[in-house]
Amino acid sequence: MTAHPRIWHLVLILSIFSTPLVIMYVYQVIDSIASPDPGSLIPGEIDLSNWRFLWERIDMGRPSIWMVTFNTFIFASTTAFLVTLLSTTAGYALSRLDMPGRPYFLGGLIILHAFPTITLIIAIFIILQFLGLFDTLLGIILVKAALELPFGVWIMKGFYDTVPWEIEMAGVQDGASRFRVWWELVLPQVKPGLAALLIISFLSGWSEFVLPLVLAPGSSTQVLSTYMNAVIQDDASADFGLFKAIGMFYSIPVIVIYLVFQKQLMNIYGGGTKG
Amino acid sequence: MTSRMLGIGFLSPAIISVCIFFLLPVLLTVVFAFTNMSTSTGIMGGDYRINTEQLRSLPDLDVSEATVERLETAGFQITEAGLTALADQFSKDTAEELREDYLGETFESRRDLERVLKDLDEPIRRTRDRKEAADLFAVTLIGERFGTEEEFRAALGTTGIDAVDHDVLTEFAYTGWTWTTDNFSLLMELPSTLRYAANTAFYVVATLTFNILFGLFLAISTFYLPGRLANTFRAIWFLPRILPPVLYVLMWNWFTWDNGFIATVMGWFGVPAKNWMMHTSTHAWTAIVLINGFVGASLGMILFSSAIKAIPTSMLYASEVDGANRWQQVRYIILPQMRWPILFMTSYQTLSLLTSFEYILLATDGGPGRSTEVWALAAFHTALNNYGGNLQYGFGAAYALVLVFIGIALSVAYLRFFNFKELLSKPRIEQ
Repeated sequence: MTAHPRIWHLVLILSIFSTPLVIMYVYQVIDSIASPDPGSLIPGEIDLSNWRFLWERIDMGRPSIWMVTFNTFIFASTTAFLVTLLSTTAGYALSRLDMPGRPYFLGGLIILHAFPTITLIIAIFIILQFLGLFDTLLGIILVKAALELPFGVWIMKGFYDTVPWEIEMAGVQDGASRFRVWWELVLPQVKPGLAALLIISFLSGWSEFVLPLVLAPGSSTQVLSTYMNAVIQDDASADFGLFKAIGMFYSIPVIVIYLVFQKQLMNIYGGGTKG
Repeated sequence: MTSRMLGIGFLSPAIISVCIFFLLPVLLTVVFAFTNMSTSTGIMGGDYRINTEQLRSLPDLDVSEATVERLETAGFQITEAGLTALADQFSKDTAEELREDYLGETFESRRDLERVLKDLDEPIRRTRDRKEAADLFAVTLIGERFGTEEEFRAALGTTGIDAVDHDVLTEFAYTGWTWTTDNFSLLMELPSTLRYAANTAFYVVATLTFNILFGLFLAISTFYLPGRLANTFRAIWFLPRILPPVLYVLMWNWFTWDNGFIATVMGWFGVPAKNWMMHTSTHAWTAIVLINGFVGASLGMILFSSAIKAIPTSMLYASEVDGANRWQQVRYIILPQMRWPILFMTSYQTLSLLTSFEYILLATDGGPGRSTEVWALAAFHTALNNYGGNLQYGFGAAYALVLVFIGIALSVAYLRFFNFKELLSKPRIEQ
């Protein structure tokens, strides 16, 4: 579009609306390393005591931050891996393979994609107790992966749909099996999709809060979201410096991924995800 | 390998996990909604037992007084357990003598047993002690655990309780969950039901309106800005969507709480510090709509931005040549192209707002009072997290069932919004 000479009023309105967010971001960083005096907003001297949770227990009975971080990493990465694996095969089947009941599977996928999974959490809570997977990392990994699956299959199906048929036709003509065609010809074409899905499901697992809160409430299965929430809930003095330092630590992977893949992420999220 | 076999093989892991974590939970939500499952009943079934506290509520069940008495003491029997207690509390010799002469014997009334205790070679001398000692041998159902209904009924029979009362007592004594429709009649009766429904309606409508209007504004305004500036604003507004909810809400807490940003700034003007999020229900609702709205607007911005980019630039140039001003361009060219994305956004967000409670849980937890408690949060509080400690899974499932029904109905309706025929185009290799 041609740049309009008078855009300052637009910038002004946008800036006014964006101010609260910018203030939150700026002070999120500042307060984690230098708390201002009460009643003032000017940061004082650099003070790293807010980060003490890294080298000592902030209070008794709380698991060490490193174990919690390890749990979070296992939870997020295993979930991402599972979702990507199952979506890669299921997406291909739905996109390219002729099989009985395909219309029903596709219809089911769209319904599941829109269906609000969080309403099922009470039943899932009881199912996990029956299965003996309650309060285990494995339990929340399986649940999270299953709940992310419709989204993953949807994304992967979209990527498969863009692969030209000619590539597969050529493979089949040359006498390769459908499996070999998929493995050697089609899969390399959807590598960007695989990467995107891995990243998005990792982020989703890393940020997940309600599932671990309900399905893995014990301290040995705590993840960073529930850890941070517990610290905030238990602290009567509202020590925002400490909370924000934990928040900074918690969001490092998110920020890094955001900075590196910002453009791709916006494209994917624009591709029609859950709100 | 045929494509049919491959298809089934490729699909089955996904289908299995969908069955376990979608279909089964949907069915079980229906099932649980018709039970009184809770922490106290457990989920695995239960046993049969009446304890001392429950005894008092028995007359309300029209159980005869004789039965209550019989439950408490159904005679006396000299047992090893009783003898051990006797040896501990009174004398070993008395217990030993009683064991030799009377082990296994039963007495109809306390007086008979007391007489025996008095006539022993090593008697219990004081009347009060004898009474206490006799009580050690009382046969009673109270506090005893029975694994199955048969065992319990047999025990009722042997203690000589009137057969008329057996059914009532069996039902009363069962500690596990039972089938019931009480959850739904309770939902109909409780005034809070209407309250939560109204809260939910307000929350969905207000947040959705904010999301769409503000998302449109962000998308259109950043479209007219030069690249770098536009990207800066997009980056600012994309972050809420991608930050972990716990951290995002923490930033809001800092912004609004009584030692946070607003309170500090207002303090400079002499306004006493207060919690700007939780002060009144209006404050709480404003905070909730903004917290959710910023995230939703973030999604709206991304969706609408990519839709605007898809508009052919020639159309926009043509309109400029024709002398349309900026507003006319938005009104007559951009907005009409937004119809489909807005419809999509509305349908998806309606469903996700109806059922999501994460941000509300983190921000106000339904407070102050119950003023921001929405339906989904009520289900969560009832079944999974409440201060009373007795988690009512059955009642919570009844709450959730309403949402599950709405969810299924709406997502089936959305099938129509998608171009389903196009999705169904046959795979070409088989043709």
